Amino acid sequence: MNRFILKITLALSRSKRYKTVKSLVWEMLNNPLNPYKKYVDLSIIFFILTSVLILIYEVKHPAPKWIEYYDIYLVSAIFLIEYLLRVWVHNDISPIVIEEHKQSEFLGREFRGKEALMKGLRKKIDYMLTPSAMIDLLAVFPAYRPLRILRIFVLFRVFKLLRYAKSINQFTQVLSSKRFELLTLLFLLVFVVMTAGVALYVIEEQINPHIDSLFDAIYWALVTISTVGYGDISPVTDAGRTISMVIIISGIAMISFATSVIVSAFSERLVELKEVRIIEKINKNKEFLIICGYGQMTKMFFAQNDHRIKNYVILEIDPLKVHQAQKDGFDVIQEDASRYETLSKFNAAHAKITLLCLTRNDVENIYITLNAKSVSSKIDVVARASGREMIKKFERAGADHILLPSEVADTMIRTAISHPTMYKAVHAILAGKGIARIDEISVVEHDAICKKRVGQIDFKAFKLLFIGIYRGKDYPFIFIPSSNEVFQDGDVLLVMGLEMSIEYFKDMYQGNLR
Amino acid sequence: MTNSRVFLFGYGNHGKPIGKGLSEDGFYVVIAEADEKNQQQAIENGFEDTHLIDVTNDEQLMNLDIKPEDQLVCVMDDEHLNVFLTLSLRSLFESCIILSISDSIHTTQKLKMAGADKVIDLYEVSANRIHNILKRPVTTKLLEGFVGDKHEISFKEIVIPENSFLGGVMSDEYTFEQHGVLLVGMIDQEAGDSFVFVTTGVNHKLDSGDTIVCIGREEELNAFENLIIQTKERG
Repeated sequence: MNRFILKITLALSRSKRYKTVKSLVWEMLNNPLNPYKKYVDLSIIFFILTSVLILIYEVKHPAPKWIEYYDIYLVSAIFLIEYLLRVWVHNDISPIVIEEHKQSEFLGREFRGKEALMKGLRKKIDYMLTPSAMIDLLAVFPAYRPLRILRIFVLFRVFKLLRYAKSINQFTQVLSSKRFELLTLLFLLVFVVMTAGVALYVIEEQINPHIDSLFDAIYWALVTISTVGYGDISPVTDAGRTISMVIIISGIAMISFATSVIVSAFSERLVELKEVRIIEKINKNKEFLIICGYGQMTKMFFAQNDHRIKNYVILEIDPLKVHQAQKDGFDVIQEDASRYETLSKFNAAHAKITLLCLTRNDVENIYITLNAKSVSSKIDVVARASGREMIKKFERAGADHILLPSEVADTMIRTAISHPTMYKAVHAILAGKGIARIDEISVVEHDAICKKRVGQIDFKAFKLLFIGIYRGKDYPFIFIPSSNEVFQDGDVLLVMGLEMSIEYFKDMYQGNLR
Repeated sequence: MTNSRVFLFGYGNHGKPIGKGLSEDGFYVVIAEADEKNQQQAIENGFEDTHLIDVTNDEQLMNLDIKPEDQLVCVMDDEHLNVFLTLSLRSLFESCIILSISDSIHTTQKLKMAGADKVIDLYEVSANRIHNILKRPVTTKLLEGFVGDKHEISFKEIVIPENSFLGGVMSDEYTFEQHGVLLVGMIDQEAGDSFVFVTTGVNHKLDSGDTIVCIGREEELNAFENLIIQTKERG
């Protein structure tokens, strides 16, 4: 038996296929950043909703047989599979068994495979006992129609939706932060309800025809204290009415207290919740911007834009500036971009992130650049530097683009005076105005232009000026390529011309038209 | 061009690099400063014609001997002073060209109202640059070199002299590529003094006196310019 367990675990831990499949399933079920999780979630939600709708429909109308089969067999089977998969991927048993084997060999004692197996299984059982796993399990059972009480199982299917309602999680989180206040209140409530209930039961049980048991009296007390007051049970004696008046007043006090506790809990956590939401939202995008600092540069960056920037988030430490940014209607998070935790919240593995370091301070910018690069080298960093002497440092830190605001302005003044003609030309090109923009055309493998020689393309006919080919960081820029140069996959062509000429050229040569 | 003068008001953050660049380009740079330390710095850096003046005093400004064809650059470190100075200079010297750099969004408008002919808004330019980096990263990297001087590829403007081999040539027909340069545009005197890009598709006849703007590697541009000038000597 022991040998058998060891054999299987060894086989499993050696199998690469098993591991990849398992981690894939885990990702699809649990990792919100995984692109396929969305589809898994959506289909589960679909099954839940149809199942609940079928039950509601069936209350008054007879449903066709196939619908019943769908609900009882298909949906249940799918939920069962989901449940089993969740239990399966929760933890790995094989490493525990192997560890036990190693230990026993080292110590020279007998290998206790069964115990190790139980250790691993216990963890799974722990998972199965968590509320969400219990709900999943109970949701597997179909609501068996003929037995009315079993219809309660449909509730668990509804509860299953809770997994997808993040606000519920946050709600419970917020409430648990006020556990002490709420528990105190609950005890007080229980005390008052019990006292009043018992008192009314003792006083009116004989006289009042509606009160048959202590349960009735307590039910009445709760209905009264909550200010709901159905009126199905009401006190008939003066003593009973006096109790009513007392608990009504204490009820109002208690409800207002509870409300204020919950409200204050929320307003304390609101900012945090909002920030979590912003990060979650931005992480869903394939490509987005992180802007550090909300200063003049950032404001100008947004003000200037003709096409609105959609996917961005601003990080700012100064609460005053955060407030200003919120007032201006931007998505802003009060976080320190130089902290590792801050940047690692973003989905650097799956998304293309560009980070703009626009603070005034070089030290800060370099620190943020290094931080971003340490989180993931895939993050593109555009950093602002105060002067030329800083460029080396920023390059060492790994910044992909370095922006020198004052130098740009200085050279512009210089050009405006010494080369007035050129100034206009360069300015027009820099501004990317319609008359003469330099644009980039990327070549992809299936493009018509790919694998063609430069000589075969007549740029002049398109009224374009072909400047050169950029082949990536490791190659020098090819300025005026010879006519024998061949366009390759991944090349970026630099051409200058009217916007429409460029668009026309792209239409003709991009995609596999011919 | 070498005989024209530039008056640089302010030798601080922006003044230093501008002054250096302009004197490299062959301009006669006159520096006026209100701060003694900065003026000393200018003298140390080799500027001979420096003045320590109170820029709020009109009389002292008048004494600077500014001629109508001179260009004035206002880049004082103090924004408020800069705006005031621009206003004074505009009222004193009607026909001079005044250039200025604005360090904040609010100042740009004020400098323009004060009468500066060209205001370069530091933030606007930089923000524009960021957009460019995001949209066209390769181009921006290359263009950085066009304007500055740290890359090998740059712009050059060349005036076509009389009797050059380019005189009478149609802009579309001549292959500039054989010299390792590309023609970007020109100022055709026949068509008025506006700048024309080659990519507008109009074929221009090049004449002497026209200014052409080319891009290319530094050496090839210089070689090309020499070629044009040499043909003139031969002719």
